[in-house]
Amino acid sequence: MLRLSATIRKEMLLLIRDKSGLAVMFLMPMALVILMALIQDAPFRDYQELKIPLLLINKDDGALGEKIESGLAGSNIFEVTRFTGTEQEARKKVTQGVYEIGIVIPADATKNLDRRVQNFVDETMLDLGLPANDTTSQDTLITETSLPVFFAPDIKKSFKNSVLSSIRHVASRLETQTMLEAFKRELNEGTADSSPEEIGEFIRFEESTASGTASVYELNSVQHNVPAWTLFGMFFIVISLAGSMIKERTDGSYLRIRTMPGSYATVMSGKVLAYLAVCLSQCALMILAGIYIMPLLGLPQLQIGSNLITILLVALSCGLAATGFGVLVGTVFNTHQQSSTFGSVSVVILAALGGIWVPVYVMPEIIRIFAEFSPLYWGLNAFQSVFLGHGNIVDIWKHLIKLLLFFLFTLSIASFINKHKNN
Amino acid sequence: MGTAAALEVRDLVKNYKGAAVPAVNKISFSITNGEIWGLLGPNGAGKTTTISILCGLLKQTAGDVRIKGYTHQKNSKQIKELISIVPQDIALYPALTAVENLQYIGNMYGLKGSELNKRIHTYLEIFGLKEVAGKRIETYSGGMKRRINLIAGILHDPQIVFLDEPTVGVDVQSRNMITTFLQDLNKKGTTIVYTSHLMEEAQHLCTHIAIIDHGVIIASGSPDELIRMHSCRNLEDLFLKLTGRKLRD
Repeated sequence: MLRLSATIRKEMLLLIRDKSGLAVMFLMPMALVILMALIQDAPFRDYQELKIPLLLINKDDGALGEKIESGLAGSNIFEVTRFTGTEQEARKKVTQGVYEIGIVIPADATKNLDRRVQNFVDETMLDLGLPANDTTSQDTLITETSLPVFFAPDIKKSFKNSVLSSIRHVASRLETQTMLEAFKRELNEGTADSSPEEIGEFIRFEESTASGTASVYELNSVQHNVPAWTLFGMFFIVISLAGSMIKERTDGSYLRIRTMPGSYATVMSGKVLAYLAVCLSQCALMILAGIYIMPLLGLPQLQIGSNLITILLVALSCGLAATGFGVLVGTVFNTHQQSSTFGSVSVVILAALGGIWVPVYVMPEIIRIFAEFSPLYWGLNAFQSVFLGHGNIVDIWKHLIKLLLFFLFTLSIASFINKHKNN
Repeated sequence: MGTAAALEVRDLVKNYKGAAVPAVNKISFSITNGEIWGLLGPNGAGKTTTISILCGLLKQTAGDVRIKGYTHQKNSKQIKELISIVPQDIALYPALTAVENLQYIGNMYGLKGSELNKRIHTYLEIFGLKEVAGKRIETYSGGMKRRINLIAGILHDPQIVFLDEPTVGVDVQSRNMITTFLQDLNKKGTTIVYTSHLMEEAQHLCTHIAIIDHGVIIASGSPDELIRMHSCRNLEDLFLKLTGRKLRD
């Protein structure tokens, strides 16, 4: 115990005295967390928050134009501006980026829709052997109503789909409404002119977490970036830890340690515990930044749920995985240059695979397979389960086991290589 | 001075992977308790390999090493309590102070509390480092670093101390202090195994000399005995006579 505590004390003193190392371990992840949360804030916000500028030319004087316009305005997605100019002028404004989207509702849109619906209703009535009131359009070719929608050139496909889906939703409800009114008119001539009733939704979607918990936090820039870059920072101690091991070997201190009583396990445990304390401090600092600093910068506050013990377990497991990896890198490589290059590149690769930059589900399938082997992926999933879904130990135990196995695996390999090197 | 063997080496061989010839080739010697035993040789002769095997830092390919009757294979823990190494490199943490370094090393040998602090301050006083005890090692001069390096090796009162060129790169005053201290330490019963390229120092300090070249011990005896036997003026003459004047890597 004396040897272990002496090693921990020595490592802590060395860490405290290494000012540039401390900056790399604490300031760099802090800067990354804040910077990335700010940069990714807009992409992470959902469209309701964003209010996309939309230019609308409504030439229709009927219900369709009116309902599309009120539907777009009431959707809380768009900031609708009515435009009385030509479609050409509207396209120019959208191309210039003044507006993100332009929509033109043609002059005869409502009439065209009514005629098309009436035609459909008449055909249906005749098919059913019922008298059709209005057959004026039987011989006329009625084309579908076309609404030109144009986007700014930098608009992403997913965004376009989302916008078109919203417009289709408004148009579809209107189509259904018009059709029902036409049927009612045909079947009950007496009430045909009564004011139409608004159709409610027949199917309602109830949104909740997969675990079915009542309170749901949405994934936003802060919820993603704080755990993601905290993990990145924790794993970045690989460079410092490996560097300290190599320095010990090159300046002869390790040679002295090897002739002193105390096993390799004791010496390594002291190192691991000291750097684990660093990892936990990093984690606490980043979480506090997410809770108290992010809102000051206009970002959402980090929500961590109420399961502090589980958060501690996740942080411990991630810290152990990171220190185990550091010990392995410090054992394998002989120079600081080799270890720092490999350490930084490998952590960046593991971070990319682990979904630190972009969520894993948007990656190609082959990458998603590799992501399953990244300890940062396990750590990020565990953190987000706890933060977003109030996950408890039962929900994340598989991730924790993987992280702990990774720690034991890296230490075992390091121990084997160390033994081989010493002989 | 006792007569029992502090260290016995029989037919020691060390082959490095890929090397054409063994670094150490069937050497045998015995070091009596209380000796100052010098292992001298040109660069690449096999000194460091031999000392590394004796300290348990390297495994021998063949042969037997016994320290106070113990072997590294079976009694590593006991041997580590008995021996100490003062390496040629300043094997200390530059960012830590002298006291912090010595406290860490003392703790690793099981020393703690007032007993450890007493030892640290006694040695710092003997070696003239008390005034700079709270300063980081990185601020020390070469001589001061050598002295603190030596203290780190003797803090736990080992029975056998391995010294690898303990006075290299230091001024005359520091060297004099170190050699005088080593003689005093030896008088108290500590066995010293010493390597150096400084022949004059070795002749003055050692009670027994072994000269190694190409992995083989080519001469062994007291300095006076060897000089007389080979009709040389001093140890340096003897060394050049036995190992040649050709430059070594």
